[in-house]
Amino acid sequence: MSAIDLVQISKSFGSTTVVDGIDLAIADGEFVVLVGPSGCGKTTTLRMIAGLERPTSGDIRIDDTSVVQLPPQKRDLAMVFQNYALYSHYTVAKNLAYPLKARGVPKTEIAEKVQATADMLGLGQVLRRRPGQLSGGQRQRVALGRAIIREPLAFLMDEPLSNLDAALRVDMRKEIIQLANRLGSTVVYVTHDQVEAMTMADRVVVMYDGRIQQLGTPEEVFERPANRFVAGFIGTPRMNFLESSVTADGNLDVEGSIVSAGAAISKKAGETVVLGVRPEALAIDPQGPLHMTVTLTENLGSETLAYGQVRQQECLLLSPTRLAPREGDGIRMSCEPVDMHVFESGDLGKRIAGGS
Amino acid sequence: MNEYRNPIATSVRVVAVLLILAILLLPFLWIFVNSFRPTMDIVAGPEIIPSAVTLDNYTGLLDSTPYWSWVRNSSIVALITIVFTVPIAVLASYGLNRCHFPGRNQLGIAVLAVYAFPTTLLVIPMFSLFNRFGLLDTYIGLALVNTLLAVPFAVWMLQAFMRSVPSEIEEASAMDGHGRLRTLFRIVVPQVLPGIFSVAVFAMVVAWTEYLFASVLMVSDSNRVLAVGMADLIGQYRVDWGRLMAGAVMTAAPVVLLFSITARWFLRGVSAGALD
Repeated sequence: MSAIDLVQISKSFGSTTVVDGIDLAIADGEFVVLVGPSGCGKTTTLRMIAGLERPTSGDIRIDDTSVVQLPPQKRDLAMVFQNYALYSHYTVAKNLAYPLKARGVPKTEIAEKVQATADMLGLGQVLRRRPGQLSGGQRQRVALGRAIIREPLAFLMDEPLSNLDAALRVDMRKEIIQLANRLGSTVVYVTHDQVEAMTMADRVVVMYDGRIQQLGTPEEVFERPANRFVAGFIGTPRMNFLESSVTADGNLDVEGSIVSAGAAISKKAGETVVLGVRPEALAIDPQGPLHMTVTLTENLGSETLAYGQVRQQECLLLSPTRLAPREGDGIRMSCEPVDMHVFESGDLGKRIAGGS
Repeated sequence: MNEYRNPIATSVRVVAVLLILAILLLPFLWIFVNSFRPTMDIVAGPEIIPSAVTLDNYTGLLDSTPYWSWVRNSSIVALITIVFTVPIAVLASYGLNRCHFPGRNQLGIAVLAVYAFPTTLLVIPMFSLFNRFGLLDTYIGLALVNTLLAVPFAVWMLQAFMRSVPSEIEEASAMDGHGRLRTLFRIVVPQVLPGIFSVAVFAMVVAWTEYLFASVLMVSDSNRVLAVGMADLIGQYRVDWGRLMAGAVMTAAPVVLLFSITARWFLRGVSAGALD
């Protein structure tokens, strides 16, 4: 198992820059998840590590050796593809054996390893079937088996669960985590699903527009999002963003309501900033500073989502259903300072205050 | 959707299809029926249901002409043509599809443009070239020409199959540690086997039916191929129509048989390029 270092990696297709100078040090045995919306450069980054794309500039090092000039077959990394990419003309056993054949492993040893891997993944009964005869979950296991069978330096996974249905996805998510723990392997995992990112990762790399927006543990990116993009991307329902102006004493003026973000904000009075509050952090409070008119409610069972407007700005409240407001209600809300995040204005506005 | 079709429109369509089929198939029916009629009857006039049926045309053809020698020669040439065409088509279509190099698109177009070139113009230069290289009157020589004729379309046809192979499985193979050539033969080729089979059939048909070069390049009687042999049945003063028809049926039979087996794949190869 191995450490992977990306040093100022960039990739352009023609005049379009897809990955823009990424630095990322992945430790040996770490499970790193690259997450972001489509087109953010996460898959291209993974494909550059794999050797399937050549970086326009920058260096990729595995265990301190530059591999940027090596073709994929010389890098000793294993990859799991979104559509599994199984060899449909081979049986499951042959699919599993294929990576070992490239390394000249003796036949008896191949047979043993195929059996052991199949047993570990519960594929023992289907070794003689072709991929076309398998269920989605079984195909995914074959793809995983093909990756783990030869004990590569690291695993690269490109949205491996996105073709599975919701229930199976949860099961496979657990299986992959357990597998990675058992093998102690370095994993670089790409997904657009922030739930996968939060549940699987040792560290999350939030990407947008070809750049890393934040690198941190799931707790860090959730509790202390580095900028407005990360704050909006991580967490469901999405964080509320309320445009505010800074008052003379360092508090926030949100549409006429004065809100204290705990510590004073070191910005000039009158400057526009953005207050970020997660819908679940807002509480109905008759003495609260924020006033919202509820326009729509959605009962989710134990909780209810209330959509509304704080003056002209949209706002969302998640409250226990028994306390939930009704459509048309005017309510007052408050929020603990620890749950407030203040960002500079703009889509990628940096965090300037708040949080724990 | 079919349930809502207008019955009148459907019948018009059926009639039109039958008419077109009749026009296309009538000559073949004509040849087939006449191959079982005595030559005297054939000359006398057409009949859909023959008044006299005979196998004389077939026995006469086999007894008085070196028919099996022609078949053997044609088969050898066809086989060599397949052996030459298939690997070239596989490598060329893979390269044009998957390898990135400057001028790739132009090269792809050039391959098809060659097909539009009137090959008749090549007969004379080819003759002198073959003469110089000692390829005149050899199986390999004629097979080379047939390969030349078959490869452009074969490459084009196989490209459609290559396109349908997801690039991820090649990438997976690379990640699994296999180089490009091994990936091509272990992973890509098995995926395009129907295409390769179609290409082989196409090459065989080209070799089997090619007349012009065969008549010029195969000088000796013992090396004569089927198409040329059949044409020789047409004498200067007299044509034995019965034998000619019998020969036509026997010559066409393997082609029709092979084609009917592979027709589905063939169509896929030809149409896939048009649809994507």
